[in-house]
Amino acid sequence: MITLGLDVGSLFTKAVLLDDDRLLATAIRETSGTIAMEVGALIDLALERGGVTRSDVGTITSTGQGDELVEQADFLEDDVACIAAATRHYLPDTELTLEIGGQSITGVLSSPGGDVTNYMRNDKCASGTGRFIEVISAALGVAMEQFDETVTRAAKKVTVSTQCAVFAESEIISHLNQGEAVPDIIAGVCESTARIIISQALRFGPVSHYTVTGGVALFSSITGILEVKLPGIYRPFPIDPRFAAAFGAALLGQQE
Amino acid sequence: MFYGGIDVGSLTAQAVVLKDNSIYSFQSIPVKPNPVDSAAAVIEGALRDKGLTLKDLSFCVSTGYGREQIQKEGLAGENMSEISCHGKGAWWILPRVRTVIDIGGQDAKVIRVDQDGELVNFVMNDKCAAGTGRFLDVMSKTLGVTVEEIGPLSFSARQVIEMSSRCSIFCETEVHHYLQRGAGLADLAAGINRTMAGRVMALVRRVGIEKEVTMTGGVAKNPAVRRELEKAMGLKMLTYNVDSQLVGALGAALIARRLEEVKS
Repeated sequence: MITLGLDVGSLFTKAVLLDDDRLLATAIRETSGTIAMEVGALIDLALERGGVTRSDVGTITSTGQGDELVEQADFLEDDVACIAAATRHYLPDTELTLEIGGQSITGVLSSPGGDVTNYMRNDKCASGTGRFIEVISAALGVAMEQFDETVTRAAKKVTVSTQCAVFAESEIISHLNQGEAVPDIIAGVCESTARIIISQALRFGPVSHYTVTGGVALFSSITGILEVKLPGIYRPFPIDPRFAAAFGAALLGQQE
Repeated sequence: MFYGGIDVGSLTAQAVVLKDNSIYSFQSIPVKPNPVDSAAAVIEGALRDKGLTLKDLSFCVSTGYGREQIQKEGLAGENMSEISCHGKGAWWILPRVRTVIDIGGQDAKVIRVDQDGELVNFVMNDKCAAGTGRFLDVMSKTLGVTVEEIGPLSFSARQVIEMSSRCSIFCETEVHHYLQRGAGLADLAAGINRTMAGRVMALVRRVGIEKEVTMTGGVAKNPAVRRELEKAMGLKMLTYNVDSQLVGALGAALIARRLEEVKS
């Protein structure tokens, strides 16, 4: 059966089209204030890329913090269940999924059978989330896409002592004023972001395998630090990690 | 005899010169990149106003950012935590005060003092911008008003649009969304001030309230935050006719006088 999963996140809305468990197409756009009206175009884009039409689609399942804004959806699924489903499908023996989105860090712990046994979410604070990186990126005038490349030119890591995005922004500006190099500051920011994520992950206790999903997983300058410092084996998510929850939603839509 | 107190904050630096038992001179300046430079400029300025120099001070105490360095550079004979200084300063102005809510540019503290102005207990937030002056700063910019305007603005609100998050960054996004949907500036300002007060109340509850209560620091100048805090605590806070941002420097000068008296 062909199913569509939609994940309406705080910064981006993602669509994943599946044929049974085969990935047909993905599409992504920024979540605007009028996303409810724009989600139709995103669905059409995914269908076009997958070479199918609306009538071919068995179910549409939506998830994420704006899941209720999708009036085309047949089902709503909790994002924790979607993330767990995506990990169970691609990385079946991975206990912990760290989903790091635009405005939250969600840790999902699964049993070997793939059932969710625990989860924790920090959505109270921008610290360690995509927004944190966005704020720093604006303060430094370096695009987020440039972070990984910029870090390769770092000679050292400038310590960023505060976790608060607002205070970190001021701290970084004072580092710049003191003549610290941009690559060294970005290396420090990646270290600090990784440290925040690690402290969330450690609340679950030791795990044998973990993966990272969500937009922040695209930064190898951050996942590289996790790989070294977070106990357990890091499994890179095999598809674009931003689509994990939407993939899970489409997968759960298969069972409806 | 003259005694000096220097308080370097995140945005402004203050100095107070005491003569006998009254404030003889004071000054407030925006901070310079280096706290020692801020300290030197502000104390020298306060002294110069009265034709004095550093040599005329019997003793001087530094507090706030870089207080140890300021002492090392010889501008002060001793340094003290801002907590003791704000407690002491507020108690000297208002001897009945037992709880001081001090909100500065980058931190918030609730300080409990005894009948002699000595520190009993305190709680502090300097980890998160929520509940500090920085939160109001970020929110004012988002509304396109000054930080001085955001308090009075909320008194013309027709409704209070409270924020769903406490995080300054998330509130910024939320305010943008409300503005796009045509929400009123005053209604948002009222919500921002209430959200701010809510965060401060979390600190107040942790340390507990003993009457009388007063506020110090820059945010004490925001009448809407004051009113929200009074509503939440169910009491009236004491007011005073000294600039609320001077209280830390005043406390430092009072401690300078006491230290000198103990020595002699």
